[in-house]
Amino acid sequence: MIIVTYVKHVPDAEARLRAAGDRLDLEDVAFALDGMDEYGVEQAVRLREAGVASEVVALALGPGGADAALRTALALGADRAVLLETDDDLDPLAQAGPLARAVRDAGAELVFVGGKQADWDSAALGPALAEALGWPLCDWTTELRLEGGELVAVHDVDDGSEAWRAPLPAVVTTQQGLNEPRYPTLPNIMKARRKPFDRRALVGEVPRVLTLAAAPLSRARRGVRI
Amino acid sequence: MDFALPDDLIELQQAVREFAQREIQPLAAELDRRPRYPWASLRKMGAMGLLGILTPEAYGGLGLGHLAYAVLLEEVAAADASHATIAAVTNGMPQALLVAHGSDAQRQRWLPRLARGEWIGAFCLTEAHAGSDAAALRSRADRVAGGYRLNGSKAWITSGGEAQLYLVLAKTEPEAGARGVSAFLLEKGTPGLAFGAPEPKMGQHAAIATGLTFEDVFVPADQRLGAEGQGFVMAMAALDGGRVGIAAQALGIARAAFEAAARYAGEREAFGQPIREFQGVGFKIADMATRIEAARLLTLRAAWLMDRGFRATKEVSMAKLAASETANFVCDAAVQVFGGYGYSADYPVERYLRDARVTTIYEGTSEVQRIVIARQVHRELGR
Repeated sequence: MIIVTYVKHVPDAEARLRAAGDRLDLEDVAFALDGMDEYGVEQAVRLREAGVASEVVALALGPGGADAALRTALALGADRAVLLETDDDLDPLAQAGPLARAVRDAGAELVFVGGKQADWDSAALGPALAEALGWPLCDWTTELRLEGGELVAVHDVDDGSEAWRAPLPAVVTTQQGLNEPRYPTLPNIMKARRKPFDRRALVGEVPRVLTLAAAPLSRARRGVRI
Repeated sequence: MDFALPDDLIELQQAVREFAQREIQPLAAELDRRPRYPWASLRKMGAMGLLGILTPEAYGGLGLGHLAYAVLLEEVAAADASHATIAAVTNGMPQALLVAHGSDAQRQRWLPRLARGEWIGAFCLTEAHAGSDAAALRSRADRVAGGYRLNGSKAWITSGGEAQLYLVLAKTEPEAGARGVSAFLLEKGTPGLAFGAPEPKMGQHAAIATGLTFEDVFVPADQRLGAEGQGFVMAMAALDGGRVGIAAQALGIARAAFEAAARYAGEREAFGQPIREFQGVGFKIADMATRIEAARLLTLRAAWLMDRGFRATKEVSMAKLAASETANFVCDAAVQVFGGYGYSADYPVERYLRDARVTTIYEGTSEVQRIVIARQVHRELGR
């Protein structure tokens, strides 16, 4: 089985963000693999290590320089990377189409996506991708097993948890609790540089959502010491 | 001229920073209060690759150069100085000497375990009455059938009793001064090799250091490293690399103290404003930052020269001198910025000061570094 694990390149959690006019100023901001996506990478690598998966493909969509997340995924154990390159600001619905095509290209039967994306705090990508593929979705997964060619996925609900059974192929969104992601070790970071890295230009996709304006939070909201 | 670190190295630096801040830094205060040898976190460092940085990939190491070594060791030291000391010794001395002078059989036998951090290596030069003065060593190795018989003692051996491999310098020709010194590799458990109790010391408490005694220790001839009489020469050459490591360590401690002080100076208020607004504090912060930057440039350049195959003895000594003196200046200033809290063991800066203190002493005191620098300067003038 081939697994695709989606990784997003987002500003580092500790980066200081500034507004420039009605846009975010992302110059000099350090980017990193979205923490939510790390659970999917870890889960995919564990399934390969257990002999369940034959290949783990890390897939990202974004500008050409947006490869830190993919390089981290390779260092964590993904076998190869695919970057769909575009400088357009595509919303999750617009991303789902090309991502679904890349998933089919890879011949994957299982896709991991972070439960939500750290940059815009959107949880839409996993469901949109499942819809574009026409595959079932297990969301916010905290526990995952493969039983007789089917997925058993657990997620939290208000008064406990629910377990789902879903046939493959399927999309699984991940969150904290699913596993404890490993560190990229230095030998693996160095080996990752020799793994296949496929860049494909993405053209012709049209955003469905446009950002009209952005403004920084008011600085007046400073805490008062009591 | 390019002062930027290579992108590849920045990636490794970030990975080590994250690792060290998450896995090592939280242990530092407790290890200082209740010293123990930190095996669990050393195993993690080994898996990370940090205990075989300079050793070639063929022997299980990372095969990186001294520039990378300095950059990565600074990150470890910024989290905890003791871990950096243990790492600097096992990387910089036994492994570096095995790589440079070991026979193929010796490298195969010991390097992979050391490079992966399954074993830790110790370096045994110092004796109770002799450190940098190698001619005064009293430990002796007498030739016997099939090898040597070692007698004597060593002092201040980092990882003593914990390390599995000991690189020992002893005299094979007692009358020949420094040229009568040879190097031997001894495994823990060798009959006649015994360890003293951990030395109580001012700082770096988890970098356990003990004395060592040899009582009629038989060492087979194939455990001699390099030629007879070459021990001191080999050790001095390896110390160039070792001193880069200590310079990097001193930078890491200084950086941790500086960052704590700079943050505190922005938070602590007195007379209605953050104390950094007072020039007495602001200028201190500026001097700390400037001296760290200067020492780092010297250190990285010395490492860069070594990586290009230059003999950089003078530059390495300058880096070690500047970085270790800077660490002491910065940590002392950080205590001052913290005021009463700086003197409190509830805050980390007094520990940084105690941890930094030895950096102007080990791997050659600041005075020895000046002797080395002056000698090189005179040599260059004489040309």
